[in-house]
Amino acid sequence: MEEILKKRRTLQETMNFMAALSAGIEPILGRGATSMTTAAGRNLGRKFSEKAKRTDDLLTAVEEVRHILAANHCLWGFEPFKPKGQEQLVTINDKGQHQLQLVFRDCMIRQALLRFGHPQQGSLCNMMYGFFAGALETIMGKKATLEIRHAGENACLKVLTVDA
Amino acid sequence: MLEMTINEKACRGCRLCQDVCPTECFAYEAATKKVTVAVVENCIGCLSCAYICPSGAIAHRNHHVVKNFYRNIEFSMRMEKFL
Repeated sequence: MEEILKKRRTLQETMNFMAALSAGIEPILGRGATSMTTAAGRNLGRKFSEKAKRTDDLLTAVEEVRHILAANHCLWGFEPFKPKGQEQLVTINDKGQHQLQLVFRDCMIRQALLRFGHPQQGSLCNMMYGFFAGALETIMGKKATLEIRHAGENACLKVLTVDA
Repeated sequence: MLEMTINEKACRGCRLCQDVCPTECFAYEAATKKVTVAVVENCIGCLSCAYICPSGAIAHRNHHVVKNFYRNIEFSMRMEKFL
């Protein structure tokens, strides 16, 4: 039990450090901070999805990303979101790109940020952007972006856009 | 299913909830000068409206509450590989 509590304290310290890093990295490094965290997320996404099943279907690819996260013990649960009145989960924008709205609920970064009073939508939040971009590049072979549409206290709404 | 209610007596009609909601769940009624829940199906349970409401008039039920993972011993065990 003592060992588990020790690990928990270590985890809390790590998250505290991550939250402080997220809040402090941007004022110091400027615009480069986001690029760094996005690149780190992209590398992680590529690495984790090396053995993932390849597909052209966006919904199947997103499910594959979910399996990858679960298999690697990442607490980043998400689910597709379809507003009332919209017929399909996947829509096509005016540039011909496929779009899917995703709701993120349990998020390690958000929990750490709010726990220590740091603002959301910082550099660490962009790590997920990079992760999806890296994973979908490997799974679908297409360029992808994950824009944060809303960062809420209990859930975030993001828009996944994949090139046609 | 998620439920959202607005306490009519408490609502001042400031429309902050309408501004913050990313999925346009609310509607403003000019006659009563109050906000009502228009499309509850669109609510993602971000709770931004409840946090921003100056009157604390908005309440949610049956929504997913995020896990305080850093206080969860089982999760701490799973996170061992990252430490």
